[in-house]
Amino acid sequence: MTGPRGLWIVKLVVGPLLGALLAARLGQVRAGAGRGRFGGWPVDLSGPEASALQLAPARAAANAAWALGSPDAVKESSKWELDQLAPTEVPRRVQLLLRFGIVDTNPDGQAAIFGQVCATDPSTCAHLKDATEGETRTRLVAPGNRLPPFFIAGHPHVPGM
Amino acid sequence: MKKAPVSALSHRRLSRWTAIVAVYGAAVVLGYLAGGSMLRSSSSAPPSPARTALARARVGWVLRQPDAPAPPAARADLQAEIAIAQQSWPPSLRGLFELVAAVQGLSTGGQPDWARAQSRCQALKWSQCDRAALEQLRARGRP
Repeated sequence: MTGPRGLWIVKLVVGPLLGALLAARLGQVRAGAGRGRFGGWPVDLSGPEASALQLAPARAAANAAWALGSPDAVKESSKWELDQLAPTEVPRRVQLLLRFGIVDTNPDGQAAIFGQVCATDPSTCAHLKDATEGETRTRLVAPGNRLPPFFIAGHPHVPGM
Repeated sequence: MKKAPVSALSHRRLSRWTAIVAVYGAAVVLGYLAGGSMLRSSSSAPPSPARTALARARVGWVLRQPDAPAPPAARADLQAEIAIAQQSWPPSLRGLFELVAAVQGLSTGGQPDWARAQSRCQALKWSQCDRAALEQLRARGRP
């Protein structure tokens, strides 16, 4: 009796089970086959460009906000990128701080931000007005598309400028 | 002992084989469907930080390739990456992310979706949302 019963177990339980497992694997492979067809994009984060690529969407958003966005959008998107920026990316950090300072309406806040620019990059600090003016030219909407009152004569300046 | 007629025996054998084939067929079909849905359910789980970072890098890569838009076959994959990357952003900046995606044509093979961009821009309450302004945004908004 064991022989035929064993044979039946193999035929009706083990066999279909194996078939189901193989088919499940095939189903997984087929379902995953459509992925990763975009040749050239990163498959892992080991490359030297990885961190720059990760930051690129935030950079695009910050640039978009700077072109047309409200002061709040500029501040928020600049802060979002600044928070992720490597300490070595000084020029971009300075650029974002300048933008932040330009749209800040509070004179004390503006002074503090331009002070941060000076602390981050003394060479920009030496030409702060020119650097700020250059940045305002890339903004398409007010406020922020003109030199802020901070640079108008008589306005209190950043200590050490 | 009386032997069963040959036709009855072969009929019984045939129906037995039919049953076995049906069991195997059902097992294979169910297995195949389960395998596919397992993959789908695993991909709908919250992404890990590494997966999120990869999605951001992929979206960043696409943003840097204005002349190499996603082929139609890859758009679904790209859409999934965009969704993962967007979810990792602060809620207050997701509208801006959508505006950038529409203007740069992330989901539309590099072709700007001006209508969507305009509606996103208006939702953000920006002062200029006309086509000319959005075209400038497209030109200046690349990373």
